[in-house]
Amino acid sequence: MQPTRLARCLLLACGLLASRGYAQAPLLEISGANFRPLPIAIPVPQALSDEARPAAAAFDEAFLFDAAAASIFQVLDRKSFLADAKEGFTGASITFSRWADVGAEALVKVQLAVDGTSLRGEMRLFSVASGKEELRLVHVVPLNEPRKLAHFFADALYRQYTREPGVFQTHLAFVHRVGKNREVWLSDWDGRDAVVIAKDGLNVLPAVAPGGTGVAFTSYRSGKPDLYLERPGAPPVTLVSAGQMATGVAYSPDGKHIAYSLAQGDGTNIWQANADGSSPHPVTETSYFINSSPSWAPDGKRLAIVSTRAGSPQLYLLSLDNPREPRRITFQGNYNQTPSWSPRGDLIAFTARDERNAFDLFTVNVDTGKVTRLTQDQGNNSEPSFSPNGRLMVFTSTRNGLPQLFVMTADGKNQMALPMERGEFDTADWGP
Amino acid sequence: MSAAARNSLLTTPPLPLGRFLVPSLLVHALLFGLVLGYGALTARPMLDLDQKPIHATLVRQGTPRDEKLLPRIEETPPPPKEQAPPPAPAPVVVPPPTPAAAPAKRASPGQKTGDDRQKLLGAFDQLSKSKRAPEISGAVDGDVSGDSSESEGERYYGQLSVQVKRFYDVSETIPDQERIRLVAQVALFIDPSGQLARFRLVKSSGNDLFDGAVLDAVKRAAPFAPPPGHLRNALQKYGIVLQFRP
Repeated sequence: MQPTRLARCLLLACGLLASRGYAQAPLLEISGANFRPLPIAIPVPQALSDEARPAAAAFDEAFLFDAAAASIFQVLDRKSFLADAKEGFTGASITFSRWADVGAEALVKVQLAVDGTSLRGEMRLFSVASGKEELRLVHVVPLNEPRKLAHFFADALYRQYTREPGVFQTHLAFVHRVGKNREVWLSDWDGRDAVVIAKDGLNVLPAVAPGGTGVAFTSYRSGKPDLYLERPGAPPVTLVSAGQMATGVAYSPDGKHIAYSLAQGDGTNIWQANADGSSPHPVTETSYFINSSPSWAPDGKRLAIVSTRAGSPQLYLLSLDNPREPRRITFQGNYNQTPSWSPRGDLIAFTARDERNAFDLFTVNVDTGKVTRLTQDQGNNSEPSFSPNGRLMVFTSTRNGLPQLFVMTADGKNQMALPMERGEFDTADWGP
Repeated sequence: MSAAARNSLLTTPPLPLGRFLVPSLLVHALLFGLVLGYGALTARPMLDLDQKPIHATLVRQGTPRDEKLLPRIEETPPPPKEQAPPPAPAPVVVPPPTPAAAPAKRASPGQKTGDDRQKLLGAFDQLSKSKRAPEISGAVDGDVSGDSSESEGERYYGQLSVQVKRFYDVSETIPDQERIRLVAQVALFIDPSGQLARFRLVKSSGNDLFDGAVLDAVKRAAPFAPPPGHLRNALQKYGIVLQFRP
């Protein structure tokens, strides 16, 4: 045998023996990462003329709130910025080291200019580490809609990082308590630029109609609760006026159907109809129990409902193919209500009353049944509604005294009050 | 060659190497054959990716929460109270004996003094101001520093896991679709004093942000507690593989 071959064989043998050693290393599973928002610097937008300054202020307020509520960014405090306030707008004129010094990993610069009755905005996104321009966008809106421009840019920024649709151009419907009246309003996602939909009397349980163009709601205007649809500037449409009480309308994900609860005789059951209220038919048919608060699964084939068939209000899943055998999914607590099925399909958020008689928000995993608490020890928190992308949810909280609308992530982080006027607001529905 | 030539002193007779070389080669071949055969039979990849991962967690100490109750958000256990150093012994002053100390005036049993009232009010005040102790759910025999209600695996691995998790920061901007399939493995070797001897990424997740985050977590988590005796040699020699999922 040649000496070189001999050496090769020896090495191979040693290697094989060593491999036995590596295989003995135990494998330790680590999960549950602390997801850390990306530190992002958003300096004051540059107004290219005096006319653009008021619009720039409104833009700035909306854009900063969107970025902070998105929960994927850590918006850095402007007081810490070291860069020259008159720094340029292009990559070549930006001193990125100064942005790196304050911990920024991304930098967003915006310029605003007035062109007649239009507001023209340009946004550039830079990676601070590389100095590379990663996104450049130009958008034009009417001059009196700077917040819409901010939501447009915020959506683009969100999509750039997550490759998912943003929620900043979606809509909220909510109830505004004014004296004894309950008014239904439709607004942008942050509760601003709101228009009244139903003003006098008791109008409750709103649901954003497909396309975000109107709101369906329950109203006592005829003396008993019925379901109506109203669009700004258009006459109201009666969707359902039957039985003793029709309440709590919910649109299917494709917008073609509605589900609601209808009280007749001793029982309250879930009904389904076309989106215009035609062809109604019962989904549940129990004689004595209350079945209410339907929320559609993203596949449009199942509903999450509240039913008292076990003696206390609990959440159940109904398959529309086999509605006679609902599956109970909450077993903890004795008062669980207002389900909202995540558009991602995995979670159902709901309100529950705990052993301290406090109302708080929870999610239940549809597959595993695992219940997770989202709010705790901060007033009463209720009526969750998922954002259309399932990342965030809006809810009512009394933590500051009056009922207000808050937003947080689907796992309960980053709870922020919506920047609305002072007042009492509740029962928000987050729609397209 | 003729017999005369073979026996001549002028020629060098051939060495009897064959007699030794052939058996030697045979013995070596047999040995290598055995080693190779053993290796082939028991060959595994450098890292056994199919082995069952260890889920090591520390158990929180407390009373198990009633399963019928809704869950509460676990609060981090309060830091251990620092014990105040014992006060320095004061110099003992022996009072001069008094010839007749007047006994203190005692209040009659039915009469409440101002001090008693103050004490009573103070007690009520303290009671009303006292904070409710935070509810801690867990196992009765759990660890004070535990953070989970589930228990499995070696205690040292639990501590290691907690230590690394503390620094396991991942960018929120990674899309959800990617998060569900991200898996990265880092091999690390720990010396008997708990220092990180070396570490490396043995399986990339394919996402630079995630790979960077897991390496950063291991680096920042070191040094670790010194391994217990029965693990000391294994952790130094064979190391441990941390499998990270978001």
